[in-house]
Amino acid sequence: MTEAVATAAGARFVEPDERIGRSNAVDYVPGQTDMWVFVLVEALIFAAYFITYMICRVQDPELYLRSQQRLNVGVGVANTLILLVSSWFMARCVQSAREKRYDVALRQVLSALMLGFLFIGLKLVDWSRMVGEGLELSTNEFFSFYYFLTAIHVLHVLFGMVFLGVAVYQLRSPLRRSQEIVETSATYWHMVDFLWVMIFALLYVIR
Amino acid sequence: MRAVAVQAAPALPSGLFDRLVWHWRYNPKLELWIAWYAMVFFYNLFGVVFVGMTRVMPPPKPWWDMPRVVQWFNDNHSGLLVGFGIIFLVSGLTAACNALIGYSMRRMSISRAFAYSYIAIYSVSALPGMLLTAIALTVGAMRPDRDPELIYWLYDMGFMCFIGTMGIFLIGTFVWMIAVLIDKNRVLPKWFGYLNICNLITEFVVATSWVFKQGVFAWNGAIAFWIDTAVFAVYTVAFIVLLMKMIKREDFGDGPLAA
Repeated sequence: MTEAVATAAGARFVEPDERIGRSNAVDYVPGQTDMWVFVLVEALIFAAYFITYMICRVQDPELYLRSQQRLNVGVGVANTLILLVSSWFMARCVQSAREKRYDVALRQVLSALMLGFLFIGLKLVDWSRMVGEGLELSTNEFFSFYYFLTAIHVLHVLFGMVFLGVAVYQLRSPLRRSQEIVETSATYWHMVDFLWVMIFALLYVIR
Repeated sequence: MRAVAVQAAPALPSGLFDRLVWHWRYNPKLELWIAWYAMVFFYNLFGVVFVGMTRVMPPPKPWWDMPRVVQWFNDNHSGLLVGFGIIFLVSGLTAACNALIGYSMRRMSISRAFAYSYIAIYSVSALPGMLLTAIALTVGAMRPDRDPELIYWLYDMGFMCFIGTMGIFLIGTFVWMIAVLIDKNRVLPKWFGYLNICNLITEFVVATSWVFKQGVFAWNGAIAFWIDTAVFAVYTVAFIVLLMKMIKREDFGDGPLAA
């Protein structure tokens, strides 16, 4: 359906591939609406985890505060910056693809992907340091939450890297290049970033 | 062939019994509907047995001592025997569910390997999903005179299997997820493909129930049980409804399904 027909029918829908090069032409939901449904469900699940964490925390704030001080805030900040920059690359990638600058878009999504690897690498180093110090999953409730939330998040990062891989696949060939898929991948990656910011705030920052 | 027979089918009668007979004789989707109703019947029965009769859901406490566990078996003696007796009788109905999900993948524009993989993986899912638990707890209920140590062991085994063994579901869910996401026939919506990720992640979450005996990560905890169960319930309702819609939309062709 063309944009003109869509407008005539009173709809705001535009074929994804027509979005390329029309960054300001129309308002639309970036990527697949299906991905936004998924983001909403994920947000609800993580909200349930966060509420559970806060309920447990208020029951023994001393323990949580004491345990929190054993975390390496520097690594937490570094990981936050890595994901924020990675998200920025992905946002730039979407814009570049809209402007049909596919080589640039490809470099940007690859940069986001590399930062994803760096995030996981840093997380593994941090986990091994903590285990080396005797801070394990069953050390106390705070560390149970720490390992649980960060591990579940890393699983989401791994899924996100698959999505970014799909975006790379799409951008590499002129025969594929679906703007919708690129935007859908970006949406997932931003969600991963958003979740980490929440986890970082809860585990490292909140006092 | 049913597809041919339906061409010559008379008009749908009005009486309930006559309508059933008509569907039995002429409805080309009869087998699909039987599988769907069998699935709905099974999940409802599963809920009644595991929640209402055996009291396995929500799970009792993992930290109970031996006398309390023995007392739990005594308190639920009849419910365990009757409830799991029913489960042993109807556990084969899981095949209808697996078949229908396999059918959904066969209708997609993807390799048949997906459907075959899923059915092969899920053919053993009833074992960790319910049968190991049913066997362990039934043995405990039927042998109250045995050493309490053994009864205690059966209790742990029953609930750890029920809550904590999810690897089969993880891989099966992953197969279905990929199938939905790469399908071009629009058999199931893409949001459901993504929703599989939520269900898949819960299979990792339950691993914590092997480590903890109390708290939110134990087998009755807020995270390992309640949140996971809520996600599973949403996921199950979603695929039951979507499979029903798929049957309604089925045209027995091999191209994209109409919306």
